[in-house]
Amino acid sequence: MTRALAILEEMGWRAFALLLAIFMGAPLVLVVLFSFNKSALTSLPLTGFTLDWYRKLFSLGAFWPALWNSLIVAALVAVLSVAVGTMAALLLARVAPRRAEALIAVVSVPMMLPALVIGVAMMSCFVRLIDLPLGLPTVILGHLVIAQPFVILIVFSRLVTFDWAVVDSARDLGASPLRAFLTVTLPIIRPTIIGAGLIALSISLDDFVITFFTIGAGNTLPTLVWGMVRTSLDPTINAIATLLILLSVGSTFLALRVSRYHG
Amino acid sequence: MLKRPAWERQNWLLLPAALIFICAFAAPLLYFLVISFWSVRARIMRPDLTLKNYIATWTDYYDAMASTLLIALVIGLLTTILAFGFAYALRFKCGRFEAPLLFLALITLFGGYLVKIYAWKSILGREGILNQFLLWAGIIDEPLDALLYSVNGVIITLTYFLLPFAVLPIYGNMRAIAPAGIEAARDLGAGQWAVLRDIVIPQCEKGIFIAFTFAFLITAGDYVTPRFVGGGAAMMGHFIELQFSLGFNWPMGSAMAFTVMAISLALVVLLRGLFRRRILR
Repeated sequence: MTRALAILEEMGWRAFALLLAIFMGAPLVLVVLFSFNKSALTSLPLTGFTLDWYRKLFSLGAFWPALWNSLIVAALVAVLSVAVGTMAALLLARVAPRRAEALIAVVSVPMMLPALVIGVAMMSCFVRLIDLPLGLPTVILGHLVIAQPFVILIVFSRLVTFDWAVVDSARDLGASPLRAFLTVTLPIIRPTIIGAGLIALSISLDDFVITFFTIGAGNTLPTLVWGMVRTSLDPTINAIATLLILLSVGSTFLALRVSRYHG
Repeated sequence: MLKRPAWERQNWLLLPAALIFICAFAAPLLYFLVISFWSVRARIMRPDLTLKNYIATWTDYYDAMASTLLIALVIGLLTTILAFGFAYALRFKCGRFEAPLLFLALITLFGGYLVKIYAWKSILGREGILNQFLLWAGIIDEPLDALLYSVNGVIITLTYFLLPFAVLPIYGNMRAIAPAGIEAARDLGAGQWAVLRDIVIPQCEKGIFIAFTFAFLITAGDYVTPRFVGGGAAMMGHFIELQFSLGFNWPMGSAMAFTVMAISLALVVLLRGLFRRRILR
């Protein structure tokens, strides 16, 4: 009897986990499905396959510059946040654990704050205080603020279990600190670093609020979506949304694969 | 950890990250705090030292503030409980399904903030899939209007958005708990609730706190969700954003933002204290 109850209980937990997983995945799947659906209404049943919404999207004048801006910003944010975050993590892994934890807590504050607060604070400071023109550089700066804590956390947690003896050996054999890093540390933690970079990439691709306040003129994909949702409810939005999902979910997917199988 | 040789502790490694943090985050935030004491005359912002923006936040927006905090509390609790249940089920009850289910949750982490809100807008509408499904299943006879453009829409959409972020820290803590310890407690006669209260929850306290704080603060400052799916659900984020897009009253917006953040943080700290006293004893 108790055995049967235990099995029943386990089934219950599994059903709960499965339901939540469906809850988390289904809306995104629906957006993708509707982007290929003939009917202009987002309701079931699906009425047939079409690529018209993509054709419409690709012929939209504002689409290509927005895509280009998104890709430039995301690529630079990924590269810069990985460089900066890895450097910081390398040091943090070597100071006393309590100090490292305190420093990480400080640098993670932007992760916990609403993007609206970060966005308007940056905008008002740049515009009024230092008269910095808004544009892609300020967007990149904004994204670095929210992406670097993720990179630091990911690389730091890899370095916590890192066997420093191999670096010591290289140093004892006469390698400079830089050389030891490039030939010993880097190859070992490379999968983690690539994973962290891809996460930074998807954070940047995904961000709307900070971009909205710091870009001045011009668009990235999310700000373009914002404009489209406000003015129309046309399935072209499903097509651009699918593209965004593909880019950001794709890079998160790759990040998880890379770090699971090697790191 | 062994103490590392001195040549390795090269403090300059932290410099670029610290520069970004200070120049692009801490300094702007400080400036933003300073202007909350400024005043606006004829649409021009003037340096001042006044509390009138804070007073106006209280007198003009106390109802929006109260409803924002209430919604943030509901979403914070809902998200944290669901995330805890999900992480618990994954870690201890799902066996070989643990990895694929976790993968599914994490993959949606950055699946597009706007895209997610937009997806729910089309799911929750009068002609949306949820109403279609409920009608088809015979649960309702008339389509529900209260799903979209209401508090319900905000709660569903934001819980959906925050859930994977909340799973992450709690699951991280749970990974450190050995199933053997739980089995030993069960063998010694501890019930399901005793195991949760005495073993699992204490070891996940930090993760639970991070998940709840994150969900609470993000909700308290969100303006996109209420605007898209919230209809009349007037939240502080919405009014703060208006000060920058329409009102051109930055000092007012700043005072509102800092008031919301300060009250939210105070509430979160208070709740953590209560949680520790009541549940962890």
